[in-house]
Amino acid sequence: MKKTMSQVLLYVIVSLGAIIMLLPFLWMISTSLKTSTETIKIPPIWIPKVLRWANYVEAFKAAPFMRYFVNSVVVTLVTTLGQIVTSILAAFAFAKLNFHGKNFLFSFFLGTMMIPGEMLLIPNFVTLSKMHLINTYGALILPYLASFFTVFMLKQSFQAVPDSIYFAAKIDGASDWGFLWRILVPMSKSSITAVTVLQMIGSWNAFMWPLIVTNDATARTLPVGLQAFTTDAGTEYQLLMAASTFVIIPMVILYLFLQKYIIAGISKSGLKG
Amino acid sequence: MNVTFEHVDLSYDDKKTILKDLNFTIPDGKLVSLLGPSGGGKTTTLNLISGLLHVTKGQIFFGSKEVTDQSALERKVGMVFQNYALYPHLSVLDNIAFPLKMQKVNKAKRYQIAKKYAHLVHVEDQLTKKPAALSGGQQQRVAIARALAKQPSLLLLDEPLSNLDARLRIEMRQEIKRIQQETGITTIFVTHDQDEALHISDYVMVLNDGRIQQFTQPQDLYDDPKNLFVAKFIGNPVINVLDAADLQASLQKYLPSNFYQQVKAVGVRAEAILPQPPIDCVGQIQAQIDKIEHFGSSVTANISYHQQRLVSTGIPANYQFGKQLVDLYFAKQGTYFFDNDGKRLEVKTHD
Repeated sequence: MKKTMSQVLLYVIVSLGAIIMLLPFLWMISTSLKTSTETIKIPPIWIPKVLRWANYVEAFKAAPFMRYFVNSVVVTLVTTLGQIVTSILAAFAFAKLNFHGKNFLFSFFLGTMMIPGEMLLIPNFVTLSKMHLINTYGALILPYLASFFTVFMLKQSFQAVPDSIYFAAKIDGASDWGFLWRILVPMSKSSITAVTVLQMIGSWNAFMWPLIVTNDATARTLPVGLQAFTTDAGTEYQLLMAASTFVIIPMVILYLFLQKYIIAGISKSGLKG
Repeated sequence: MNVTFEHVDLSYDDKKTILKDLNFTIPDGKLVSLLGPSGGGKTTTLNLISGLLHVTKGQIFFGSKEVTDQSALERKVGMVFQNYALYPHLSVLDNIAFPLKMQKVNKAKRYQIAKKYAHLVHVEDQLTKKPAALSGGQQQRVAIARALAKQPSLLLLDEPLSNLDARLRIEMRQEIKRIQQETGITTIFVTHDQDEALHISDYVMVLNDGRIQQFTQPQDLYDDPKNLFVAKFIGNPVINVLDAADLQASLQKYLPSNFYQQVKAVGVRAEAILPQPPIDCVGQIQAQIDKIEHFGSSVTANISYHQQRLVSTGIPANYQFGKQLVDLYFAKQGTYFFDNDGKRLEVKTHD
């Protein structure tokens, strides 16, 4: 009896958490199907009388979303790939190699994680504008090709691989490079998948930096493109929400496919996402 | 291939000396154990042989070739680790074939060789499984096959049986012996378990405190220990050790006067303490027998002597004893005399 009670309580709490997490998404979808007047009605309307699918068509026409979509895909894929490759190499060095100043270097990089991202906006902008990269993919990709957070996550998971496996591979004739790609990376698949997905989501959703370094459709990404619905005359919420739904769908699909790896990877690294 | 160490030292940061002046030759085609307590230097010695560690001073030879500065790969050693170190994402077959893949042996050939070794270690029916699906003993067999697949110069095993349960350990040590004899490969085996070392080895090297205490055949370690450490380390029950000061009268009676004065400690094996004087008696005490325990074929007597507890297996189960002191005698075979540094002294008795 007591056991069933605690079971029920557990499910209630978990369900409440799930509802709280889901609510904004439901609200977004609901708003995307409303008329302009319905969006600002009090008390709020959860299910509009008529589902206005036309909002999606209208939103799509309001800005060059296809172009933004391509930009977002390119930027996300390139930054993620680049960042994972650089992080795997750095994490391997920190986890398995011995070199002078390793601990100092590690603490130093760890220290850089304490600098708030906003503080880097201006120096990075100045650097990239001197490199004439503003309003190009370069500006969006270059600053994110390395991330110490990712290095840190991967280092934790590489360290969990026993040294004897490293020695065994060395004795079996694998070079450091061979060990890294043939043994260590396949063994750390779940952690690598987890950081990859986290990075993809972060990159896909990035707003502030793309806002600053893009000024037209050439390199502008989807989250920045959503601004099209905010004008001096106010915000067209139903169109904004329709476009937002369109923006998050790829990430939701990605997450659903890979959530098994993400959860395993995060718990393995002993970190919260 | 035989392995020779000449004046090998190993120290970390020029300060902490781990190994001091190691000199030995491991004969070709034999199974040799490195035995000793933890921290004694046995795994370190193995890593020096494998090339995973490099000497601070001295030289290492494989056969007549110097390998001191060669890496593990160049030395072509095969190694088995305590935790097996199998590659978890590869199948058993791919694990065994991995060293061959690194040597760029073509796929058909390397699988053929891998299967041959899988057969040798009896895992031929597990080839497609991942290591996690195997038992500890099977994983160890796969690790041995992988080490052998590249036809190594030496087979090195670092505490290979420590992670197995008692029954499997005995089975696997027979298996290691069998595999070693079938392949004829020089095998070096690290263990802290004297039973393991004494049962399977052709030679045993006892290491303690970074030095070789004794390097000989298993039976000699027991019958002929070179120092007090080896005498205490080898044998079960542990040898009885008496202070020479406690045995003055006996030493005086049985040993020549110029000899007994050098004696600082006397080690007596449990089976060498007898209730009747043997022909070659080398000692005598008056002690009290507390208890005689009888399990199966073994009889153990607990004895009190000068507040010290001794153990004898030389007293018969039906021996009658009371609270009074009785005379007990030490047989020459099993009684050892040690000097101030714990070094064994050659026995010279009155005849």
